[in-house]
Amino acid sequence: MNHLPQAWGRPRDDVYGPYDSSYLQNNGPNQHTQQPIVTGTSVIALKFKDGVVIAADNLASYGSLARFTNVKRLRKFADTSVVGFGGDVSDMQYLDRLLNSLDIDEAYSSAGDTLNAHNLHTYLSKVLYKRRSDFNPLWNQLLVAGLDGEDMPFLASADLLGTTFSSPSLATGFGAHLAQPILRKVAPDEETAAKLSKEDAVQSVKECMKVLFYRDARSLDKYSIAVITKEGIDLKEDEKLEQQSWAFADKIRGYGTQVN
Amino acid sequence: MPHITTGPQAATQLHAKTNTRASWCLELELALACTGYDLTNSVFSPDGRNFQVEYAVKAVENGGTSIGIRCKDGVVLAVEKVISSKLLKPGANKRIATIDRHMGAVSSGLVPDGRHFVSRARDEAASWRSVYKTPITVKDLASRMGGYLQAYTLYSSVRPFGITAIVGGWDSELELPVDGQVGEGPSIGAGGKVEGKTYGGPGLYMIEPSGMYWGYYGAATGKGRQTAKAELEKLDLAAGNLSLEDGVKEAARIIYVAHADNKDKEFELEMTWISRLDGPTKGKHQEVPKELLEEAERLAKKHLEGDDDEETKEDDKPAEGDQMEE
Amino acid sequence: MAMFSQNPLMNGPNYSFNQAPATASDGHKQHGFYPYTDNGGSTLAISGADFTIMAGDTRSTSGYSINTRYKPKVFKIGGTTASQNDATIVLSVVGFAADGEALKERLDAVVKMYRYQHGKPMSVKACAQRLSTILYGKRFFPYYVTAILGGLDEEGKGVVYSYDPVGSYEREMCRAAGAAASLIMPFLDNQVNFKNQYEPESGAGHELQEREKIPLPRGEVEDLVKDAFDSAVERHIEVGDGLQMMIVTKDGIEERYLPLKKD
Repeated sequence: MNHLPQAWGRPRDDVYGPYDSSYLQNNGPNQHTQQPIVTGTSVIALKFKDGVVIAADNLASYGSLARFTNVKRLRKFADTSVVGFGGDVSDMQYLDRLLNSLDIDEAYSSAGDTLNAHNLHTYLSKVLYKRRSDFNPLWNQLLVAGLDGEDMPFLASADLLGTTFSSPSLATGFGAHLAQPILRKVAPDEETAAKLSKEDAVQSVKECMKVLFYRDARSLDKYSIAVITKEGIDLKEDEKLEQQSWAFADKIRGYGTQVN
Repeated sequence: MPHITTGPQAATQLHAKTNTRASWCLELELALACTGYDLTNSVFSPDGRNFQVEYAVKAVENGGTSIGIRCKDGVVLAVEKVISSKLLKPGANKRIATIDRHMGAVSSGLVPDGRHFVSRARDEAASWRSVYKTPITVKDLASRMGGYLQAYTLYSSVRPFGITAIVGGWDSELELPVDGQVGEGPSIGAGGKVEGKTYGGPGLYMIEPSGMYWGYYGAATGKGRQTAKAELEKLDLAAGNLSLEDGVKEAARIIYVAHADNKDKEFELEMTWISRLDGPTKGKHQEVPKELLEEAERLAKKHLEGDDDEETKEDDKPAEGDQMEE
Repeated sequence: MAMFSQNPLMNGPNYSFNQAPATASDGHKQHGFYPYTDNGGSTLAISGADFTIMAGDTRSTSGYSINTRYKPKVFKIGGTTASQNDATIVLSVVGFAADGEALKERLDAVVKMYRYQHGKPMSVKACAQRLSTILYGKRFFPYYVTAILGGLDEEGKGVVYSYDPVGSYEREMCRAAGAAASLIMPFLDNQVNFKNQYEPESGAGHELQEREKIPLPRGEVEDLVKDAFDSAVERHIEVGDGLQMMIVTKDGIEERYLPLKKD
């Protein structure tokens, strides 16, 4: 009798024949992410005089199912920056863990400076580009908001392909089509954004969240909004859309119940 | 006055065998050292001691004093950093390290061993996070590191750590998400919170070269540990009344008092603290701010000048054994 | 689900890139991850007797959307400072911006290392060969970009090297690349290389004498670049917003920014 622990509790080879372990082997190629599963919709952000305001709703969808209704898609980093995640939620959680461990490693040295929003964006975009180059993408589009090395407002985007860009206002997903035109009217260029007051910026972003809720079927009226300035991060995660007006819906023709 | 506890017969025989070397052995503090049982790690002497571990303790006893105080709303770590050269930059070469956001460690003894301890502790803390998706508690870290140090007493190919480490931290009283977790879980019932139960709090552990670790209200190790322990005992920490800010001042004072035994050498005081989530460090392990550190040092110096002779009396009084167990 | 794919128009007509077929040979429809996208824009380089001008528009696009109005495509390469103010080589990349960024950073690192190891700046000729090697190194997963390298050669003459995505390259007088390359290049052939320009009354048919080729002065080249981009902006939706120009001379690299139409 075989007394080795590996043999404990197994069918005896001499009675049942050798154990067929072929099903344990992973036949075929490695499977990488081919599509996002649980997803968050738009993230929108706008620079102003002395900071950045960023917002995203609290919904995580499973296809057309509103699966989780209290998901925080704005994540703080080191009290200096906020990352807003659109796209796959599990990849967002992975990235958040990655950022957490990065933050802990940075805190090992007590020598002052931590990573600013600019550094953080560079890091994230390299992670995303590396993963797309491995054909194993992190299915997100994200906005990084905060202050750069000179304490100037910083806002930039990075996506699953590693594409990066920066602008006075940015929006991902549906927001790129519905919110960005509104935000561009408020801040067409850096000079205008540098004159924008915090109140006006917050007001515009809230207005955009409302427009997105009106027209984006994968959106929610509960959202998170963060304002990042030199004074720190003001993150509110339980906001509700106010002063909605669905009067416009009455006049919509061409689809739905009113065909003509 | 070395004496031998004659236990099993074999031990007596072994000792008899080495009698030829007795002439120089007598000079040694540990006569048993001459049996050869001190030359290899992992081998017991006949009366059940691992000499390599005891020698490691000697290394610790030569190191600068480290202390930790568990206060009601946080933990303070402090170390007497002996200045080994005037060419070293003041304030550089930190001896207290961050293990995780909420936890720090300081050690007395061989500094490189301390560095390796920190490196391993950071790995343990990070791996705990990746496995359990929650920060490691101070107790669990002490357990992991106790196990790690103990392993270094088991093999002849390694030597024990020449350090005694003090680990302090604040286990969050709230549930801290470690990633963008979805949902909050049940508020009551199965899997929910237990009503009235409090979580987290301050944690302070001391880990010795043998791998032995205990939780403490106040911990001290290194050259000035006897004095420091005597001072810590006076604070009545078990009552849980000492505030963190007072703890910082007491820690500075104790390091200064303990240094009195070692007056010929200059030193720097290094201090860190961890407060509760709503305290000054927001649950994070951080250096004590410069202003508070300077204030604490000023008070410590004032105290030393004030009752200098009282302190000398204290030093003469032999404190009770280093080890609290056995 | 289309909105979460890397390109909003993946299932519809794409503007510049031909995407890989989504239908496998057995007729089974598969959705996979496509690692490229087209960020639009155009670049242009012209060499003169003692200068080189590298230019690119600053618009970045995804399908019909504008990502940003300011995303530079022209970079200084191999300087020793963060601002690259002592660089002598310029590189432009157009196509897939993430690959372009990665390529720029790799080349920049290589040229910097060359300076540290050899104690002298890299020649444009050597840099050009090295860039080709880098591109070919990813022959089977290419950097999806059209690169142009510019600077001054060993004799101080303006030099332009143009590349395909897998490293085939040649030295040229001028080159346009990117979305509006097909609009700009014929204009350049005519205005820089004097193609289809003949000496008046030099004969008919094969008797015609080509206009003599002379390097253009700097001012004229700058005007040509501006005209080329103004025209491209009119006819191509992916080109616009701003024009970034880098002018390499023996005194260093001068950078200029001119607005283009934002529509």
